[in-house]
Amino acid sequence: MANEETPKTEATSDLESGADPKAPAAVEAAKVAPEHDATAPNDKLEPTRQDEGPDSDPAPGADDDHGHGHGGHGADDHDHGLAHTMPVWMLVAVLGALMVLTVLTVSVTRFDLGSEGNLVVAMVIATVKAGLVVTFFMHLYWDKKFHLVLFLTAVLFVILFLSMSLTDRGEYQTNIDWYQSVSTANTK
Amino acid sequence: MTQSTSESVTKPKAGGHGTPPQAGHDEHADHGHGHGDGPHLAHHFDTYQQQFDAGKLGIWLFLLTEVLFFSGLFCAYTVYRAQHPEVFVYAHYFLNTNMGALNTCVLLISSLTAAWAVRNAQLAQKGLLIFNIVITIACAFTFMTVKYFEYAHKFHDGLLPGPNFHPTEQVWELDSFKQKHPEAAEFAEMLSKRAEARAKGTAAEKEAPLITQRPTEEQIEPLMKAGLIGPNSEEPMGISRPRNAHVFFSIYFFMTGLHGIHVIGGIIVWAWLLKRAVRGEFGPKYFGPIDYAALYWHLVDLVWIYLFPLLYLIH
Repeated sequence: MANEETPKTEATSDLESGADPKAPAAVEAAKVAPEHDATAPNDKLEPTRQDEGPDSDPAPGADDDHGHGHGGHGADDHDHGLAHTMPVWMLVAVLGALMVLTVLTVSVTRFDLGSEGNLVVAMVIATVKAGLVVTFFMHLYWDKKFHLVLFLTAVLFVILFLSMSLTDRGEYQTNIDWYQSVSTANTK
Repeated sequence: MTQSTSESVTKPKAGGHGTPPQAGHDEHADHGHGHGDGPHLAHHFDTYQQQFDAGKLGIWLFLLTEVLFFSGLFCAYTVYRAQHPEVFVYAHYFLNTNMGALNTCVLLISSLTAAWAVRNAQLAQKGLLIFNIVITIACAFTFMTVKYFEYAHKFHDGLLPGPNFHPTEQVWELDSFKQKHPEAAEFAEMLSKRAEARAKGTAAEKEAPLITQRPTEEQIEPLMKAGLIGPNSEEPMGISRPRNAHVFFSIYFFMTGLHGIHVIGGIIVWAWLLKRAVRGEFGPKYFGPIDYAALYWHLVDLVWIYLFPLLYLIH
């Protein structure tokens, strides 16, 4: 996380030197370069994060709040560092991973993995893809932790909603069977 | 924020800049109001950071409601699939996996350009911003066009929800079924011919070829799993489609339809943002609208990431 502090200071100094939007290139260079430095030793950054999925977000997100983690009001002079800027290589890498996973999820249907197996594999792949989109495209890795909490709340509710509904899905099957037997008996 | 107590409660406050706010100014168009912080800072915010954070919180809350909104349909899907897997096995042969995969790729690419557009707005790269928004809109239109062809095909084949469900083709006549289960398709053909002959009368029944051999596992199992024969079939004694197969198409059209409406909504939002991007409204201090629209767009993508395997890749 020591490396992650670099962008913060870079961005701040950059603001003081040129707060005008006329120098976007300088802003970009200042912001992107530290990102590259921080991640350069690890070329396999993409796959490892992908494996971790969205569950690993809270911890790094906490230290990495450099866009606006200054208590909100204290850093109001921080105007052009409103939020994290995604480097292009990362965007493209995420798209590449998503495409690979799409091909994978289609090709895996050729194999029979049991009655539930294929569904589980498809859902796991979809969840990894969703994790990639949420973590990188939706900036949740760098975003305020509260937004992550909001999103996970929604996910938690959906899980509760679906699992509760599943537990009593067969509750009325006897009524249905009875109704069907009566209606077929009536038509005869 | 810091000086809110010292200002009048009835008037919108202009923040800590000491000048009184002007009445009736527009939050985007007004350039001359009190605090001199730039054209895009609404009067009720102190700083761009505050404005951006408020908007971001707002869009995340909206996305939360969207997730819950879609979860109702996902719940219907889950419960119905758990109760009647044969209906889903039956119906998935009618869906074109290639079209679904194509649409998945199109949406993923548009997600990239949307995320890229956020970066462009943050860095005031006007040309690239316009380019990425245009690509995003183009992908959205491509998605809807593919969807149109899929829907048209289903309308044509009578694959409609509820009482309008009158499929013109039997599932074992489909290429998707034949390729996967050639023996079962052959056997189903035989069964249906016999059933037809039986319906015509005893004379025709005698002429129809008899099924002399005991059917193999490969012949029977796919038909059982798709509910064509056996207890879940509409005709337990013959071969038909599973009971209530139309429910799948209700679920299919509602899920993809609601998603499609979101795509259309996204097109409208992106078109509006394209207009504003051409005017050069976005820059390092003010890129919120692009960011919020991109977040919404990613959620639409997210829903499709789950819809695609759930509807098209049923095994």
